Amino acid sequence: MIRNARKDTLIAYVLIAPFVAIYGLIFVYPTIDMFILSFQDAPLITFGPQTAEWTGLDNYTRLPGDRRFDTAFWNTAYFVLLSVVPGTLVALAISLGITRLSGRLQSLVLALFFLPYILPVSVVYRIWDWTLNFQFGIAMHLFDTLGIDRVPIFKTSTWFMPAVAFVTIWWTCGFSILLFLAGLRAIPAEIYEAAELDNAGRWTVFRKLTWPLLWPVTALVLTIQLILQLKIFDQVYLFSIGGRPNDNLVMVYYIYQRAFQNDDGGRAAAIAVVLFLMVIVVSVLNFQLLRLAERKT
Amino acid sequence: MKHLMGMALGATLATAAQAQETVVWWDFLSGGDGVRMKTLIDDFDAAHEGEITIDATTLEWGVPFYTKVQTSVAVGEAPDIMTYHASRIPLAVSQGLLQPITDADWEQMGLGQENFAEATWNAVTVDGQQYAVPLDTHPIVLYYNRDLLKEAGRLNDDGTPMGLDSREGFEETMAALKDAGVEYPLGSVTADGNFMYRTIYSLMGQQDGELLTDGEFLAGDNADKLQNVLTVLQEWTNNEWQSTYTDYPATVALFTSGEAAMMINGVWEVPTMKDLADEGRLFDWGAVELPVIFDHASTYADSHAFAIPANNGVDEGTAKRDAVLEVMSWISDNSLFWATAGHIPANSGVTASEEYSQMEPNATYSSLTQNMIFDPQSEFSGVAGPMFDVMSTYFVPTLNGEMDPAEAVEEIQYELNDM
Repeated sequence: MIRNARKDTLIAYVLIAPFVAIYGLIFVYPTIDMFILSFQDAPLITFGPQTAEWTGLDNYTRLPGDRRFDTAFWNTAYFVLLSVVPGTLVALAISLGITRLSGRLQSLVLALFFLPYILPVSVVYRIWDWTLNFQFGIAMHLFDTLGIDRVPIFKTSTWFMPAVAFVTIWWTCGFSILLFLAGLRAIPAEIYEAAELDNAGRWTVFRKLTWPLLWPVTALVLTIQLILQLKIFDQVYLFSIGGRPNDNLVMVYYIYQRAFQNDDGGRAAAIAVVLFLMVIVVSVLNFQLLRLAERKT
Repeated sequence: MKHLMGMALGATLATAAQAQETVVWWDFLSGGDGVRMKTLIDDFDAAHEGEITIDATTLEWGVPFYTKVQTSVAVGEAPDIMTYHASRIPLAVSQGLLQPITDADWEQMGLGQENFAEATWNAVTVDGQQYAVPLDTHPIVLYYNRDLLKEAGRLNDDGTPMGLDSREGFEETMAALKDAGVEYPLGSVTADGNFMYRTIYSLMGQQDGELLTDGEFLAGDNADKLQNVLTVLQEWTNNEWQSTYTDYPATVALFTSGEAAMMINGVWEVPTMKDLADEGRLFDWGAVELPVIFDHASTYADSHAFAIPANNGVDEGTAKRDAVLEVMSWISDNSLFWATAGHIPANSGVTASEEYSQMEPNATYSSLTQNMIFDPQSEFSGVAGPMFDVMSTYFVPTLNGEMDPAEAVEEIQYELNDM
């Protein structure tokens, strides 16, 4: 059959056009607008007496001296540290356990671990507030019984980030477990049989077989987690309401404060651009490093 | 299709025949408030059948509500009338979100400055121009458990707590309650600095302290006055007189369960107490104006008001404007029912009425209208505004004994002036 190459191309363009149009309208255009806005002293919405003025790099140059930006930056870094690698390891450990099970029991246990992932963040917040509330939380009654002093977990800056990281891992590791399980099932059983014939110990099998063969999945999980946790907002916002919001700031929370509470569209955009660049740099770096590690093994 | 067209035609005819104005209404009133407002709206509709009908929507309180207002005004999709916090009006005016309420409007509504308390009137005024019609004032008050106070021997014959006139007196009451075995003499929302702001600002007002003077936050001895307040409140924590790290719902629960003998909270919790008492599940309770801890009485208040958004076509001289003004004046005149939600009606004609003076506990605490202070007029103030977040961040550690009051004041001063 003779194919008309030009016609094919045309059809291809027509088919992708709706997507490109929508993508351009709701992603590319706002992104460009965000960059432009970040060089202006502008309200969130330019209307009536409020106008935007060009201020050059002002919104950026004031960031290093901005205390709230400083808090937000380091809190985000701290949160990533607390959640990405630990979250991945927890998911790996759980999935290694689940593969040892079989049949209905395996499905049941997997479902139990996956269950938190389907909850909306508001429900997650309610559950953990119910558990850890200083006055009425059920965990506090447990503390009382054990004779430990009650800890106002979400109201002290010491415990806030670790607690939110813990809740986040509990909430989201179900998805990583699924990825790991798929990765583990893709490893042929023959390899393990061969190892068994060679009398390899459990640790050796894990270190020399499972870990390297699972590495591409681990790298994927790490990258997904990293990008996700850099953008943390919902949990921090919900657990901070009324408490110590300015001590618990993370990048997206600070963008929200600047944009929606202070009505500073320009300054909010500048922080958003910084976060945007951070995500790009960190994820590219992460991906390259992980690929390098893969080659070595 | 034919059916649809028929329906559309029918609808058009019906509107034409009745010439009924539909007023699109947005509010942020949920819970007990919301139920009462819906009753008022139904009553209004019934009283104006065939003339005006209200199409009401309730939105999420706080930042979501105010952001939606901002966007909808910019694109000309704002409602015809909306509820607004008086404390947010300076910000709204700077953003060009509100239409002024003109002298002609006031005249048409049959309302004016003489119908409102001075502080309330000033709260809706920016540069000599009014931008909203106040519906109520909602201050904070001291709730108390008569049974526990009686046991501790600190109840007056008229059923009010003893020692409301001085710091020493009030502390004596708390100490007596503690000795009588009460776990928390005072239930305080110590986990929520946003909320404590209301108490702290009241106590600053008791020393004539101001937050904002000539564009500077906590200038001069105002910082010391804030420090005085924080020091007193921290002492109460150290003496185990008030609950620590307690959030809003927990505070109400501590009070209603009898673990806390007194509670400082907004008047909007009055319906909660009334309903529980009606079901026979509450002790003998009451509510009074805040105790005088410093020099004189002073209480923080905010006001729910009605405003007309800009850019919505509800211009002067239009039939829609007439309808909106009728809604505002009718609800203001009938706001006695709104008082059952605990709020103090802003319309002084209503509060002067015979029925209102019979209403308890409203009548007991309505005296505080003389001592009300509102938020400073600034783009940073107002419920759910940036000033709240700064304060909250330092109030929580200070009130729970983690941070030195002097350090907190220094940090607050720095951050407020850095906004």
